[in-house]
Amino acid sequence: MSLTNVQVDQGPSLAVPEPAGKDAKKIAGRSPTKIAFDRLRADKVAVVSFFIVLFFVLIAIFAPLITRAFGVQLNAGDPVRDLDVFGFPRFGPPDHGFTWKAPLGIAPSTGKDNLAQWLYGARTSLEVATASTIGSTLLGIVMGLAAGFSRGWLDRVITFIIDVFLSFPFLLGALALAPILVNRFQSNASALDKAQFVSLVLILTFFTWMYLARLIRGEVLSMREREFVQAARAIGVPTTSILFKELLPNLVAPIVVSISLGLPAFVTAEAGLAYLGVGLTGRPSWGQTINNATAYFREYPLYLWAPVVGIMVLVVALNLLGDSIRDAFDPKTRR
Amino acid sequence: MHWKRPAVAISGAALLTLAACGGGSSGGGTGAGPTATFSAGGGSGQSIDMSRSDGPAPPIDGAKQGGTVTSLTNRGASTFDPTEIYYTNTASIGQALVFRSLTQYVYNPDTKEMVLIPDLASSWKSNADFTDWTFTLRDGVKYENGQPVTCADMRYGLLRSMDRDAFPTGASYSNDYFLGGDKYKGPITSGSTKFPGITCNGQDLNIKMTKPFPDMPYWGSFPAMSPIPQSASDPKKYRLHPLATGPYKFDKYQPGTSLTLVRNDQWDPASDPGRHAYPDGYNFKFTEDSSKLDQLIINDQGSAQTTLTYENLLTADYRTATQQAPDRVVTGTSPCTFFWYPDYTKITDVNVRRAIGLAYPYENAWLAAGSIVGVTRIPATSIMPPGIPGRPNKTYDPLGIGGKNTDTAKAKQMLKDANALGYELKFYYSTDDPNSVNVKNEIVKSLTTAGFKASPVATTTNQFYTLTQDPNSPVNVRSLGWCSDWPSGSSWLPPELGSNSPQSINLSKFSEPAVDKEMNRIQTLPLDQQPDAWYQLDKTIGEKYFPMIPTGYSGSAMMHGSKIQGMNNDSTFGYPTWKDIWISS
Repeated sequence: MSLTNVQVDQGPSLAVPEPAGKDAKKIAGRSPTKIAFDRLRADKVAVVSFFIVLFFVLIAIFAPLITRAFGVQLNAGDPVRDLDVFGFPRFGPPDHGFTWKAPLGIAPSTGKDNLAQWLYGARTSLEVATASTIGSTLLGIVMGLAAGFSRGWLDRVITFIIDVFLSFPFLLGALALAPILVNRFQSNASALDKAQFVSLVLILTFFTWMYLARLIRGEVLSMREREFVQAARAIGVPTTSILFKELLPNLVAPIVVSISLGLPAFVTAEAGLAYLGVGLTGRPSWGQTINNATAYFREYPLYLWAPVVGIMVLVVALNLLGDSIRDAFDPKTRR
Repeated sequence: MHWKRPAVAISGAALLTLAACGGGSSGGGTGAGPTATFSAGGGSGQSIDMSRSDGPAPPIDGAKQGGTVTSLTNRGASTFDPTEIYYTNTASIGQALVFRSLTQYVYNPDTKEMVLIPDLASSWKSNADFTDWTFTLRDGVKYENGQPVTCADMRYGLLRSMDRDAFPTGASYSNDYFLGGDKYKGPITSGSTKFPGITCNGQDLNIKMTKPFPDMPYWGSFPAMSPIPQSASDPKKYRLHPLATGPYKFDKYQPGTSLTLVRNDQWDPASDPGRHAYPDGYNFKFTEDSSKLDQLIINDQGSAQTTLTYENLLTADYRTATQQAPDRVVTGTSPCTFFWYPDYTKITDVNVRRAIGLAYPYENAWLAAGSIVGVTRIPATSIMPPGIPGRPNKTYDPLGIGGKNTDTAKAKQMLKDANALGYELKFYYSTDDPNSVNVKNEIVKSLTTAGFKASPVATTTNQFYTLTQDPNSPVNVRSLGWCSDWPSGSSWLPPELGSNSPQSINLSKFSEPAVDKEMNRIQTLPLDQQPDAWYQLDKTIGEKYFPMIPTGYSGSAMMHGSKIQGMNNDSTFGYPTWKDIWISS
């Protein structure tokens, strides 16, 4: 990316070298992004959080391999064989000790292996969160840039759309859409699963892009009268180039921050919707397991704790990482 | 007749369980079988004892007056108008505590059965062919406001039970059987109380029938057969505060949330042979969280000691409950059978239907639905559940699997012989109910192993019943249940399998002229031969046609606090025996 303008712009506040003199040359060569990454690397919390997130990402990617390594399988339980008359497991927790046959135990009522469900649940969570983040970020950037840079009617239209979406209750939309989809794809299970996944991502996207769009619109509004933009216009740079080459690089900080705070929000939203019964039903997810397990919180705590801890650790790690990234990218933060 | 959903879906999660739906269709012809003599055996309300007409009810040893019972449930209760409470929860509470009908059930601790005894009617008689009934009403019974209950009020209550437009959720037996009931629109819709079929002569209430109705005393126990003064009968107001004739009256009622009952000082124990009314009052709390209420009652602290629930315990809590306090768990039968109905018009080969019966994953599905095998779900082989007269304790077994031993290998062989490997079965499940999804997974697994092609069709809990009861829905197997209103083969075979029965009840769309003929013949048999004839017909149908797959009888597993005494299972509803409950100190 071209960073010339950024340096012109940000220079005074950022590049004032504290240890004036000997390293002045080196500092002058560092981009804000590089400065941010240097700050991040020095931040212990950020590093730990990053590795935790990386751990979950690896789990999500290699879920099939890990389940095979543990010798467990998805949807392999047989209730009569594996459960007693009360619907509790015949082996493993909560009544019998730890067994490698099912390291996290098996689910009451169905006999599904909890570890396999958990691993694939991590995959579902991260897939939904990543896809939704990408979707809402792209939509937010495009709408924000367009609204901020265009004066007049387009700005007013987009601002109006943003307000409409902000005022529309997200949960109501999700609850209303779920039965419609079920009816539309009712006789085709795999199409229903895909439709549920796509619709979940779309719902999460369409009800979250506004926050980033508003942020970017505000930034662009304040930036478009700056000298470097005026100069670019004066020499006849096309609007798209101004938007993507001149303005966008200056918006990296809010975008990265929005992504890092959006991911954990989507993980919880996915689990929350699955808990309400309007999320995914065709594939394992933490939310569904929690929904099934709440009744067992006293008799079989591990069943409930596994997905709860999974969500908690992932969300806390993502949030801490997000905070650190925001601090690192914020030129006003002093450490 | 008017069908009410019995809420026994694929999941087994009963949301709005109904008293039941036996009886004839409004088109006529499905009639009723006389049931004056009953065989012994477990089940629902098997005997009538007209001699117990004098109050007060014989006291229970050690029982004390006083205290308030709290009842928690996850279901709502949107109306308490006696004419329209046909759901098991409101009907059971109303009948036992608030409204007095012509007859009533009481619990017999020796046989653990319910017995039908007189209530407002001190005696009754009919002519030889059960088309003319006379009920003699008690003197001196009063409403909660002190007004006397007259025969005219009783008549008005019965007229109201024929008003299908004003009370669409009520049962329609009055319309089906009372002379002129099919034409009469009811006192509220038509504005007229002219109805020659019901007449009063002093305290004698006479009802004429269009066709033999030997089960009238059973129908007489429903809250719809209770007196209602014509002056107080604005349905919109009345449903919120109906006039009590029983031992308790409404104090505060918030539909769907709570109901508080306090003593009705106008109720005279000497006039009531069945109700004990030991507690001073009842607090009903509706739409509570199941998991929370289970924990509350298991822990048994403070006010939870005088708390009970008529919901079945969650599977998660049943084991703890039976280990920690087995004497506080009340189990017993309730009058329902669950079925898988293959569409008789689409799946025409009886061997394919038998193969489905062999391939159905009985125990796996029960566990996945959260039922407790042997307690809330009992293996079934015959259509009629235990307690129906004529049905022996050990029934015929058309598949030889005892109603639970799935045999996919045999099913596959059968399919192969029938040249139907890969036969596609389409059935509904609800995506928003985890139990339903779990059951669906088990069924798909088992059917696939047996060589079927399983194509579950997704729907939502809201639509499940509507779609299942729609005869044109694009599935070929339907899943629901049937509950009887009173113990008689006539409330099972004609509605479930008669050609005249609406297809929202006869879900397999079964129609065989020979079976119809036999049903009509049985209804003209002498009374004492009918129970056995119904069972023989049940057997013939099961062995020859196998039109529906019984997937288990229902049962209840309720719990109460340590100070609640006298709570047993009322097998006519699968609910507590409210009339006998008392609080110890």
